[in-house]
Amino acid sequence: MAKAVLGDVRLHFDELNKLRILDPEVAQQTIELKEECKAFVDKIAEFQKIVGNLIELVDQLAKAAENEKMKAIGARNLLKSIAKQREAQQQQLQALITEKKMQLERYRVEYETLCKIEADQNEFIDQFIFQK
Amino acid sequence: MRLKTSLLKEPKHKELVSCVGWTTADELYSCSDDHHIMKWNLLTSETTQVVKLPDDIYPIDLHWFPKTIGGKKQSQAESFVLTSSDGKFHLITKTGRVEKSIEAHCGAVLAGRWNYEGTALVTVGEDGQIKIWSKSGMLRSTLAQQGTPVYSVAWGPDSEKVLYSSGKQLIIKPLQPNAKVLQWKAHDGVILKLDWNSVNDLILSAGEDCKYKVWDSYGRLLYSSQPHDYPITSVAWAPDGELFAVGSFHTLRLCDKTGWSYALEKPNTGSIFNIAWSIDGTQIAGACGNGHVIFAHVVEQRWEWKNFEITLTKRRTMEVRNVINDAVDLLEFRDRVIKASLNYGHLVVSTSLQCYVFSTKNWNTPLIFDLKEGTVSLILQAERHFLLTDGGGIYLYSYEGRLISSPKFPGMRTDILNAQTVSLSNDTLAIKDKTDEKVIYLFEAMSGKPLGDGKPLTHKTEITEIALDQKGLTNERKIAFIDKNRDLYITSVKRFGKEQKVIKIGTMAHTLAWNDTSNILCGLQDTRFSVWYYPNTVYVDKDLLPKTLYEKDASEFSKNPQIVCFVGNQVTIRRADGSLILLNISPYPAILHEYVSSSKWEDAVRLCRFVKDQTMWACLAAMAVANKDMTTAEIAYASIGDIDKVQYINSIKELPSKESRMAHILLFSGNVQDAEMLLLQAGLTYQAIQININLYNWDRALELAVKHKTHVDTVLGYRQKFLEDFGKKETNKRFLQYAEGLEVDWDKIKAKIEMEIAKERERAAATPAVRASVTVQH
Repeated sequence: MAKAVLGDVRLHFDELNKLRILDPEVAQQTIELKEECKAFVDKIAEFQKIVGNLIELVDQLAKAAENEKMKAIGARNLLKSIAKQREAQQQQLQALITEKKMQLERYRVEYETLCKIEADQNEFIDQFIFQK
Repeated sequence: MRLKTSLLKEPKHKELVSCVGWTTADELYSCSDDHHIMKWNLLTSETTQVVKLPDDIYPIDLHWFPKTIGGKKQSQAESFVLTSSDGKFHLITKTGRVEKSIEAHCGAVLAGRWNYEGTALVTVGEDGQIKIWSKSGMLRSTLAQQGTPVYSVAWGPDSEKVLYSSGKQLIIKPLQPNAKVLQWKAHDGVILKLDWNSVNDLILSAGEDCKYKVWDSYGRLLYSSQPHDYPITSVAWAPDGELFAVGSFHTLRLCDKTGWSYALEKPNTGSIFNIAWSIDGTQIAGACGNGHVIFAHVVEQRWEWKNFEITLTKRRTMEVRNVINDAVDLLEFRDRVIKASLNYGHLVVSTSLQCYVFSTKNWNTPLIFDLKEGTVSLILQAERHFLLTDGGGIYLYSYEGRLISSPKFPGMRTDILNAQTVSLSNDTLAIKDKTDEKVIYLFEAMSGKPLGDGKPLTHKTEITEIALDQKGLTNERKIAFIDKNRDLYITSVKRFGKEQKVIKIGTMAHTLAWNDTSNILCGLQDTRFSVWYYPNTVYVDKDLLPKTLYEKDASEFSKNPQIVCFVGNQVTIRRADGSLILLNISPYPAILHEYVSSSKWEDAVRLCRFVKDQTMWACLAAMAVANKDMTTAEIAYASIGDIDKVQYINSIKELPSKESRMAHILLFSGNVQDAEMLLLQAGLTYQAIQININLYNWDRALELAVKHKTHVDTVLGYRQKFLEDFGKKETNKRFLQYAEGLEVDWDKIKAKIEMEIAKERERAAATPAVRASVTVQH
């Protein structure tokens, strides 16, 4: 009876016989919901963190990949230019070799004339001895 | 010889370096597109920034104001001209203060050069104009206007001409208006740089056709290089004109003045836009495209003499190698070696402060004396002394280090003397004048005074090369020279009142050299190598000259070979490609010279008999006549088959008096005037007249006869006989005049002649000093 009266004025008693505005059942469900919500929020936060980490990681990977890609391109270019450099170096060395060759040729000519002089002088000595 | 380069790790300039210039031998200024002017001190290896120019000035070329102005010496250059891309040139002091900026050209000013006296500046620009400015920067004139940008400009040696490029052309324009302009196509590409040396008068040019070329001042090509891989961006003569440097992309080359290359360096420099030689000519600096300034000094020069071989291994160290025993000596110097010369058993080395004299007998104790001015530009040696020239004068030192003399002449410029224009012997010094190239100044070496009457030797055309003989008596000193027409002449240095004959002995001669131990001359004529075993022959018996000559085909030496030296019986020749060629000549003529100089005539004859060579006999004949030893001359002439001359010598021997014989010996050598003078001095008037009659020198004979009032009838008689023989009529007025009223009586004439001869005999008998032999020593 009393319960019905109280129900009319939207007041309730719980198991401990305390006066409640809300129906204890509803209150119970509300609390449960609240707890569930909290758990959900926590989980979501965790998920976000994990995803953030993942993104970061992927970003890092991308950067590394980009770096490697640049390096590869650089290396490829270097490889291409090395050929050119070699060519230039070869050219330089070739020029130096030509220079040395010319010097050698000069020395050869000088040597030849010296040999000729030696022969001349030997002949002269022979002649001299013979005539004496 | 090679270049030792040094390059910093990091460039001091941030942008390309456009130009460099030396102030002293150890200080360099460099300008760059980063607007900085840097100073490089090589002694302390410090580089300091002198000034930062405003951002709109991009330097292109710099040139220091010349050090010596009209004989007044400054210790170092005080200011320089800097041309820039905004059409201005700037006069900037050593401290970096911009004194003046002058609007000069429309477009960039590509080059600016002071003349040698520092009285005028020439600038050229992208607008194709060539402008002359005064010292203070006032415009004097616009010399020329070209359709294309003018990239480079240079002054002629006398500062009277300007050389500039226009496209592929080289143009020499004298400053005087209306004077002839010389212009020629020099390269197949645009000419980027040129230089004109004041000492050897040669022109260098370099262009986008990747070649560098050497020209003489008449525009004749002397050398053209092989094409390089990149355009040649810079060329520069060493101050003494013996070497030049060439710069290109990653390339630095050191070349001989004849064009062939001593050394090639491939430094990491980018293009070398500008090369400057230090004042003493021992190092170069190059302005590099990558912001560097490259330094390179010349090392490993070599000197050879007999068995010694000397190499400059480092800047201050020489290595002496005695080839005979392979002994090696190291010579250390306190300062950098600038010049050296090895000859006559002595090595003379000049460093920046001192002069060292070594004897080849002892390398340990050199004689050292201080120099007044550091930069010695030439060392010449003779047997007894040597010559040094620096900016101030010419100095003769003995090998003991004593200053002997310091010859001077008006208008002397010592900076342009080289071995071709100065010649030294034991008693004489000859210097070719630069202002008037036909003139040779002659000095007594001992006193430094002009020789004889002080008048210089003057030739009819410009002279290119001179050389004095080294041996023999001072009175017989000869000078050989080549003139502009490539003719080779010889003449005596001493002149006794009358003009000495200048006798041509060769044509198409490129180069010549006297032997160091005897008066033998060698030269290259066209494609022949000639040795004049006894050049004095031309004064004795000119017909004999071809017989005293040794000739050899020299076409194997290719174009333009040069004689380096003639020591002992070895001639060293440098071919145009730089290779040395050694030639042996017969040792006998030198021995003959030695015998004759000590009057060992029997030995000389014996030597000739042993050698059995016509050339030797011809030399001996000439030598004997020159020394008036008629016995030897007779033998020698007989051996070469000159019977007419033998007969004449015999007839000389039979002459009654000493004077007559002397006169006839002189006649034999073609010295008619001397012979006549000698006879007249001896009072032998008739003989003098007779000489002239014999030579059909009628006018002179009559003149003498009239003057001495004797034998006029003799002269007339012979003249009549001559005219009758040739069936001619007398046309000579003087003879007609004297023939009037004078009867020619041959009996009388003959009697008179007899009398004269008898008189001469008597006189000769009265002087007992006449020797039985005809040998008459002078």
